[in-house]
Amino acid sequence: MSIEDEKIEGIDKVKFEPLVVAFCCNWCSYAGADLAGTSRFSYPANVKIIRVPCSCRVSENFVLRAFQRGADAVVIAGCHPGDCHYTSGNYHTRRRFSILTNLLEYMGIEQERFKVDWISAAEGHKFASVMNDVLEKVHKLGPNGKLRDDRWIR
Amino acid sequence: MDKITQKIRETAKLALENGEVEKIIGWTKGDTFDDSHPVFITDEDKADSLIWDSFCVNNVSKYLIKELKQSNKVGVFLKGCDSLGFNQLIVDNRIDRTKVVVYGISCPGMIDPEKVKNEGLNKGLKSVKRSGDEIIFITSEVEKKLSSKDFEFDKCLKCRHPNPVVYDQLMTDALEEREVDLEARFKDVEDLEALSNDERSAYWKNQFSKCIRCNACRNICPACSCVKCIFDNTKAEVSGKAKADTEEQFYHIIRAYHVAGRCVECGECSRVCPAGIPLHKLNSKIIKDLNGLYGEHEAGLDSSVEAPIGMFKLDDCDSFSKQGGGKK
Amino acid sequence: MMKKISKSQFSQLFSNIDKSYQLFLPVELDGKVNFDLWQEGDKVNIEKLKTNISPKSFIFPQSETYMKFKRDGKKLKIDNVSGKKEDYVIFGVRHCDASSFKLLDNVFLEEPVDRLYEQRREKGTIVTMACFEPEENCFCTSFGIKPQTAPIEVDVTTWDLGESILWQSQTQKGEALTEKLNDILEDAANQDKAELNSLQESTKGKVKELPLAKLDPTKITGELKDLFDSEIWQELSERCLGCGSCTFVCPTCHCYDVSDFKGDAQTGERFRCWDSCMFSDFTLMAHGNIRKTQKERVRQRFMHKLVYYPNNHEGVYACVGCGRCVEKCPVHLDIVKVIKKLGGE
Repeated sequence: MSIEDEKIEGIDKVKFEPLVVAFCCNWCSYAGADLAGTSRFSYPANVKIIRVPCSCRVSENFVLRAFQRGADAVVIAGCHPGDCHYTSGNYHTRRRFSILTNLLEYMGIEQERFKVDWISAAEGHKFASVMNDVLEKVHKLGPNGKLRDDRWIR
Repeated sequence: MDKITQKIRETAKLALENGEVEKIIGWTKGDTFDDSHPVFITDEDKADSLIWDSFCVNNVSKYLIKELKQSNKVGVFLKGCDSLGFNQLIVDNRIDRTKVVVYGISCPGMIDPEKVKNEGLNKGLKSVKRSGDEIIFITSEVEKKLSSKDFEFDKCLKCRHPNPVVYDQLMTDALEEREVDLEARFKDVEDLEALSNDERSAYWKNQFSKCIRCNACRNICPACSCVKCIFDNTKAEVSGKAKADTEEQFYHIIRAYHVAGRCVECGECSRVCPAGIPLHKLNSKIIKDLNGLYGEHEAGLDSSVEAPIGMFKLDDCDSFSKQGGGKK
Repeated sequence: MMKKISKSQFSQLFSNIDKSYQLFLPVELDGKVNFDLWQEGDKVNIEKLKTNISPKSFIFPQSETYMKFKRDGKKLKIDNVSGKKEDYVIFGVRHCDASSFKLLDNVFLEEPVDRLYEQRREKGTIVTMACFEPEENCFCTSFGIKPQTAPIEVDVTTWDLGESILWQSQTQKGEALTEKLNDILEDAANQDKAELNSLQESTKGKVKELPLAKLDPTKITGELKDLFDSEIWQELSERCLGCGSCTFVCPTCHCYDVSDFKGDAQTGERFRCWDSCMFSDFTLMAHGNIRKTQKERVRQRFMHKLVYYPNNHEGVYACVGCGRCVEKCPVHLDIVKVIKKLGGE
């Protein structure tokens, strides 16, 4: 790999610190992240958690904005189907973001960069492993230049 | 005069005379050969300005949202694709079916003025007539007969609903369902899917960089019927108006996504785009995925069926847990 | 002195211009012709009369940042963004589009002078190309524009003779460009000039035959208030979709909006971008839009072009008859219909 290849749009790939934005449902995944912390499972600090009242609160605007403003990957974490605090929110998440996942891939975003997963409040371990998994893949892919706003400098 | 035009005028006149409707929405002819535009008629004496020809491409059903606020009963002329849009407006609760009289017209396909111009046939062109699968171009000197397939809109060549799916009265005999290659329906999408991520990204970046943010694709769309679009809502902070690649990508992804499951595949977005962006390819992709994941659904075919986005089933396939990237 | 260059030498002409200028010319991509930065191997199309989108974006870009700010403690640091720095040439502008630049000058170069616009105008050299085969939708002659002869303020004007083009500089900037190309431009022969004359004469005849040749904006007379209250607006605007196609392809529309791009909490930039009087959020104020219905918006657009602008600028109409709105409007609501109706036809 040449030196040019390692520098993508001014970001040094060797020193590349990925930024992962994770939208976490208040009732499960957010608590799962908490549990991961208190149980001392390690997951990198590159994950920025945004608490939402339900995974279906996440609008596709949020996901696109995150990519625009520098996210290298976006994760949406909600309750397991059937466990929604509001009965049916995550069923909607499931349909809506299945479509968005495919649409983003159609726009050329690598599918590893966008992930939806179900993480309950008791699954601190799963939270850590999902985040580690995403980070590892993003590390391999390198910084995301697609959909990124040129005016935005991280 | 054309038989269908005559029937349209008679019907409109009668309906206005006996008070069946207060207003009629149809098409009338302008000055140029390709100028057949929507017209709103309340006076029965003006019904004679109504026409039907190969350029009545506009879907007039979306005007009903506005018109039904002022009138109690409106008559509209709808082609096959228009009727799908009309049904979708009913599903979306934007119009009241009982206040509308639908006059259905079977449509053999509309002619793309750009294709006529590309062939250089527009010079001195007086009028264009259609008989069956032939188009007759009439100038002051000559008449030319050519095959209609070469001049129809791309979207019309793929049309699966030449006959209106909803109507109160028919203006024409039903046309035979045209032979359309069903596999060709998603060919555009499959061609793009076959590319690599980087190629696809470059493709769309190039397409969207042409966008001038005129909103024509949104405003013509029968499924884009929000009272206030988020892109017009300055407080929502999504209406980034700058000519930046990402803002255009954002706009078009959201536009396509917001009509997911409600797009009737009329292809108007691509037709009206002044920059020539093939916008229907975004909508087709979503339709293809929805059909694959949640079963066949054709928006606008039946006004009693809910759109697949906005509802769910308990046993929907869970496409995330297996790293499936949304695939089954 | 009239010059001449053979079309076979075009790529050399372009690369010579490219040495000292940024060169923009009509390039065909995906079946549409638009002005674009020239690159070796581009499919240059100078036959197509009108580019898809007008070249006004070179002197008045769709969006343009003019200020950047950064928070520094309690202070706010503001940087003015400098305008166009490179000299550039736009090659192959049609006379309608070239005339539109003059109309924009009337707006942006009046006091207070628009700094960024002024810089762009100064850096640019406009090379026009005459039309010998005007199209059905053309009506530039209705506004005193001659398809065969360029307006005098244009830097260089050219004529397409089939095998070669004739080249005539008209201003100092034009001379400067011509001088740089001296080694490939040759002097035009008398024979070429005769050919040009006959082509110009035949164009005058062709123009008269065009379907829109008789369109006459001066028929729009009467009190401003009567025109404003005219009944035609209701009928015309009924079918308007409220999109901005007409305003954004129009070479003379020049309204813009100012908004901020928010960076992180510390930085941001202020930019202006094209806006359309057709939009519901145009000139939005605290109480909402002053023009509440589409009828008022349609009226504003055409009254501006055909009544207000001429009133303010010695009778010059803010339309150049390029016909793009005639082609692009999805519902065929264009200025030709308005001129006819408002003129009492």
